[in-house]
Amino acid sequence: MIGSIAGREVRSGLVTPLLWVLLGAGQIVLAWIYLKVIEDFTGLSADERVASLTQELALNLFGFAAIVAMLAAPLLAMRMLSAEFREGNFELIGASPVRLGEAVIGKFLGLLLLITPLCLLPAVNLVMLSGIADLDVGHLAAATLGLWLAAAMFCAIGLYGSSLTTQPGASVLIGFGLLLLLSVIGRAESIGNQSVSLFGWLSWNEHLFWFLLGAIRASDLAYFGLFTVFFLALTHRRLANLRLQ
Amino acid sequence: MDTLVRVTDLSRRFGSQQALSDVNFCLDTGEVLGLLGPNGAGKTTCLRMLSGMLAPTHGRIEIKGIDLSRHPLKAKRLLGYLPERPPLHSELRVDEYLHFCARLHRLPRRHIPEAVAEAKRRCGLDDCGHRLIAKLSKGFRQRLGIAQAILHRPKLLILDEPTEGLDPFQMRELRTLIRNLAQECGVILSSHLLAEVQAVCDRAIIMHQGRIQFDASLYSPPGSNQWRVRLTPTSDASTLLILPHVLSAEAIGGDRYRIALDALGNPSDLSRSIVMAGLGLLEFVPEHSDLERVFFDLIGVEERT
Repeated sequence: MIGSIAGREVRSGLVTPLLWVLLGAGQIVLAWIYLKVIEDFTGLSADERVASLTQELALNLFGFAAIVAMLAAPLLAMRMLSAEFREGNFELIGASPVRLGEAVIGKFLGLLLLITPLCLLPAVNLVMLSGIADLDVGHLAAATLGLWLAAAMFCAIGLYGSSLTTQPGASVLIGFGLLLLLSVIGRAESIGNQSVSLFGWLSWNEHLFWFLLGAIRASDLAYFGLFTVFFLALTHRRLANLRLQ
Repeated sequence: MDTLVRVTDLSRRFGSQQALSDVNFCLDTGEVLGLLGPNGAGKTTCLRMLSGMLAPTHGRIEIKGIDLSRHPLKAKRLLGYLPERPPLHSELRVDEYLHFCARLHRLPRRHIPEAVAEAKRRCGLDDCGHRLIAKLSKGFRQRLGIAQAILHRPKLLILDEPTEGLDPFQMRELRTLIRNLAQECGVILSSHLLAEVQAVCDRAIIMHQGRIQFDASLYSPPGSNQWRVRLTPTSDASTLLILPHVLSAEAIGGDRYRIALDALGNPSDLSRSIVMAGLGLLEFVPEHSDLERVFFDLIGVEERT
């Protein structure tokens, strides 16, 4: 059942232009950043370089890809619940012998599959350097994994935003707002007590940063896993409550 | 007949607004039940609760003895639902959509092609398998909505205004389809069209302000044995009164008469007697209750007061 729902979402995503526009726009921006990093790096002498080419590329290319994914996830997610509520299509699942959990996971997996090519774009760009530059493959794999885990969390948040309203535009704003909040919340640490690191821990870019440095830490894995499950659980709760409202 | 659906004390409140109050009814297998009522009477709310989309504030819905609230998955396997707006994914093709619906209804994979072909055949969609849903006309979209509802041969079919958007030919086809489907399942449909309900339903429920105001069979009870005839040339009701087993005969306008037979009378004898009496028999149908009259008696009068 989960596979059928995810498959339908992927099929619908592939035949509508939104995914291709996002991929195209994402690739154009990433290509520009990629060229900029290469140009800056090659323009410096060996003494002036503060980081390796792999680190420069991981931080800039994957870091910016995360911003693109942060914009893309709510946009792709709006179709999945919000637009279905508006058009009445959700009644198809609601009146079928389908558990809400299956519907939520199916839609989430469909969304994750659709956003995965976006997460692979930086790595695909770096294939061009294979044989020319000596890149650290393990480091880039860690960065790709981090980007994909962050995208999974963005998808869960996007899906939750999509479950909150029948207006797809509003659902995008809600999802993006939540992601932005979790992005800037780390800065709150500097406002209050320096010893309290909760705000820093809540911020997703702090955790992605370690992946981009090539370090896979259990706490970062737990963060992305925990927040993904948390927002999927909220989405499930929201859908269950719709029957009562 | 088996009781297919039992609705007990069903109520639904949206905030301070009471949308449905103390709704009770039963539906048997093979029965077609029409829900009638003005806009806002609670028809769609009632159907959404029957389909499991909405939880009742109070009350209970049982489908073949299975409580819809307690065992939603088991109960939903038995029902097919066409909402007011057909739940179609316009970016898919007809076959893709029906295959997806079949998977949602948990049909075994090996039975899906057969079930899809059968649903398309019944709804007149044989040649539309590869067409994009976005390109379908309103009538075809409605048919596709019905096809997804009957795909898994449900025991209970819930149709919310199924004739919406259909032309008169399609309405007639749908009427035949519903009657055919009713041979193996129970059907609940809502409509604004009194004539439609009268033509296709065995029983009608008239709702007003969230309450059932009328619930009765649309056929005259067997005891009353009433028939409607159309004669040529136009005759006098008194000529019918002298026929055997005729209790009463009443002219109801034009060349039509309502005839009540006694317990021993039967329609074949009556038709024979009419012909033998030299009256030209143009039409001979069971007398339906006058739904329109009942509807306006219940709704119209109350609206005026």
